[in-house]
Amino acid sequence: MVRLIFIVRRLGFGLIQLLTLAPIVFFLIRLLPADPVSRLVGLNPTPDSYQAARHALGLDQPLLVQLGNYIGVLGTPGLLQGNLGVSWSTGEPVLTDIGRTLPVTIELITLSFLCAFIVSFPIGMLCATRPESLADRATFMFGLFAGSQPEFWWGVLFIYVFFYVLNVAPPPLGRLNPLLHPPAVVTGFITVDSILAWNGRALLDGLHHLMLPVATKVFVLSGPIIKMVRQNMLRVLGSDFMLYAESCGLSRGTLARYALRNALPAALTLIGVLYGYVLGGAVLIETIFSLDGIGQYAVNAVLNLDYPAIQGVVLVITAVSLLVYLMLDVAQAAIDPRVAD
Amino acid sequence: MVPGIWYRRRGARSDHAILLTGAVIVAVVLLIALFSPLLAPFGPETSSPDVSQPPPSLSEVPVLLWQSLTGQLVRPVHWFGTDNAGLDIFSRVLAAPRTDLLIAVLSNAFAVTAGTIIGLLCGFFGGRVAELVMRVSDVVQSFPILISGMILVALAGRNAGNIIITLGLLYTPVYLRLTRIEVMSHRRRGFVEASRAIGLSESAIAVRHVLPNSLAPLLIQLSVMIGFAILMTAGLSFVGAGVRPPTPELGLMIANGVEGLSQGDWWPSVFPGFAISITVFGFAALGNGLERLHAA
Repeated sequence: MVRLIFIVRRLGFGLIQLLTLAPIVFFLIRLLPADPVSRLVGLNPTPDSYQAARHALGLDQPLLVQLGNYIGVLGTPGLLQGNLGVSWSTGEPVLTDIGRTLPVTIELITLSFLCAFIVSFPIGMLCATRPESLADRATFMFGLFAGSQPEFWWGVLFIYVFFYVLNVAPPPLGRLNPLLHPPAVVTGFITVDSILAWNGRALLDGLHHLMLPVATKVFVLSGPIIKMVRQNMLRVLGSDFMLYAESCGLSRGTLARYALRNALPAALTLIGVLYGYVLGGAVLIETIFSLDGIGQYAVNAVLNLDYPAIQGVVLVITAVSLLVYLMLDVAQAAIDPRVAD
Repeated sequence: MVPGIWYRRRGARSDHAILLTGAVIVAVVLLIALFSPLLAPFGPETSSPDVSQPPPSLSEVPVLLWQSLTGQLVRPVHWFGTDNAGLDIFSRVLAAPRTDLLIAVLSNAFAVTAGTIIGLLCGFFGGRVAELVMRVSDVVQSFPILISGMILVALAGRNAGNIIITLGLLYTPVYLRLTRIEVMSHRRRGFVEASRAIGLSESAIAVRHVLPNSLAPLLIQLSVMIGFAILMTAGLSFVGAGVRPPTPELGLMIANGVEGLSQGDWWPSVFPGFAISITVFGFAALGNGLERLHAA
C-alpha cells in the first residue's frame, strides 16, 4: 500500500514535470534562429507563397496563441487532451509516429541491456574472484578501450565485416526482410508480436536483423557494466556477512547467490546512469541500421525543423526516462527492503 | 603480505603504462593538429580527378615510401586513397583533429569556466538559488545529451561556433557538480577557518583558497570529457546535424564512406574510423591514468 502511494505520487509529480517542460521546449525551439518555412518553400519563394506556407504551419499566429493551441486550452485538442499535433514532415499525428517508432527503440535498448548484463556478470564475477590476475587486467584494458569508443564507427565496421566480408548478417536495412510477411501489430515489438502471431520465421528474421545493432551496443556497454559488477562483487565478497556465511560452511553455489543478490541493486542503478547514454546512442545505431526507431525519427524531425515532432520527441523521451527511473526505484525496493522506507 | 606488495607494484606499473599510452596518443594528436598543413600532401578540401581511388597495396608501400623520402616521386601518393569526391583521405585524416579537437577543447574550456564559477558560488554560499541551479542541471543532465545537442545545433545553425556553445552549455553541469561537491567538502576545513580568523573576506577565501584546492578532480575529468566531446562532435555530423561537408571532420568522413562500404570501398570510412578510435582511447587512457595517479 505504501509502495502504491509512492508510485502514484511519483507519477503525479512526473506529469507536473512534463507540463512545465512542454512550454519551455516550445519557447526554446522558437527562440533559436531556424526558419522552418523557408525549408518548405525552397530557395526563391514569392512573398505570397512564403506567407501561405507560414499560415499553413500556423506560425503566423501570435506565439501565445500557438502555445495555447499546443497545450490545448483554446478549444482545439492539444497536449492536455493527449494530442501532440501533426508532424510537418510526415503529415501524420506525432503520437502515431511515436507509437510506431518508440517500441523499436525500447526493444533495441532492452535487448542490448539484457545481453550486456548476461555477458558482463560472469566476467565481472570472475575478475572479482581473481583480482589483479591476467584475465582481470585484460578485462580492465578491454573495458577502458570499449567504453571510450564511438558506437557508430563500430556499427559501420561490424556491417563491413559481418555483412559485406563474411555475409553472416542481413543488410543494414531495417527490422525485417521486406519479402517477409510481417506479424500483425499488437505491441509494436516485433519480437513479441511474432511470438503472439506464432510466426517463427518473423521472430528469427527480426532477431537476425537485431544481431549487429545489439552487438554494437553490447560492445560499448559491457565495459562500464563489467567494471561496476567487479567493484561490487569485490566489496560484497570482502564483507563480514560473506565471511560469516562462508564460516557456516555454506556451499559455493549458495555463497555465489548471496553475493549476486547483494551486488544486483548497484547494477540496477547503473541502468539508470547508462540509460540516457544508451538512448542517445540509439540515435546513431538506428541511423546506421535504418531501424526506424524514435532516435531516427528524432534525427529526421530535427533536420526537417519539424517543431511538433521535436516537441513530441522531447516530451516522450522525458516521460520514458521518468518511467524508467520509477521502475528502477521500485525494483530496487523489491530486491533490497532497506531502501523501501 | 608479500603477495599484496607484489600486486601493488604490478598494478602501479600498469597504471603508468596506461598513463603513458594515453599521454603519447594525445601528444601525437595535438602535434598532428598543429602541423597538419606541413604534413599533408594535399589540401583537405581540394579534390583531384582520381575519384574513389583505393590506397596503394601493401606491397607497393615500401617502394613508395622510399621514393617519397628520397624525393623521387613523380606525383604525391594518396596513401589512404580518395573518397567519392576525389578528396585525399590521408590529408583529411591529418586535418580532421583541427576541427574535432578545436571544438572539443573550446567547448570544454567554456564548460569548465562556467561550471567552476557557478559551482563555486553554489557550493560556497548555498541557499535557494543554488538549489534551483542544481535542479536545472539535473534536468539538463537527465536528457540524452546527443539528442539535446542535435536539436540545439540544428536549430541554432550548423557551424563550429554553435557546436562549441551547445556542447559547452550541455557539459557545464558536469563541472558544476564536481566543483560544488569539492567546494562543499573544503568549506568547513581548518584552512578556511584560519583565513577567516585572519580577516579575509568571504569572496577572497572562496577564490584564493577553496577554489585552488578543488580543481584537481576537474582537471582529471577534463581529459575524459574532451574525448566525449570528440565523440559528440563526430556523432552530430554523422547523423547530419554537425559541421557541413566538405569540412575535414572524422564523423562526417565515416558517414560519407558508409555508402561505398556495401560495395567494398572500405578505405573512405575505415581510416577516419581508426583515427577517431585511437584518439578517443588516448584521451580515456590519459584520464584514467591521471585519476589513478591522483588517487594513489
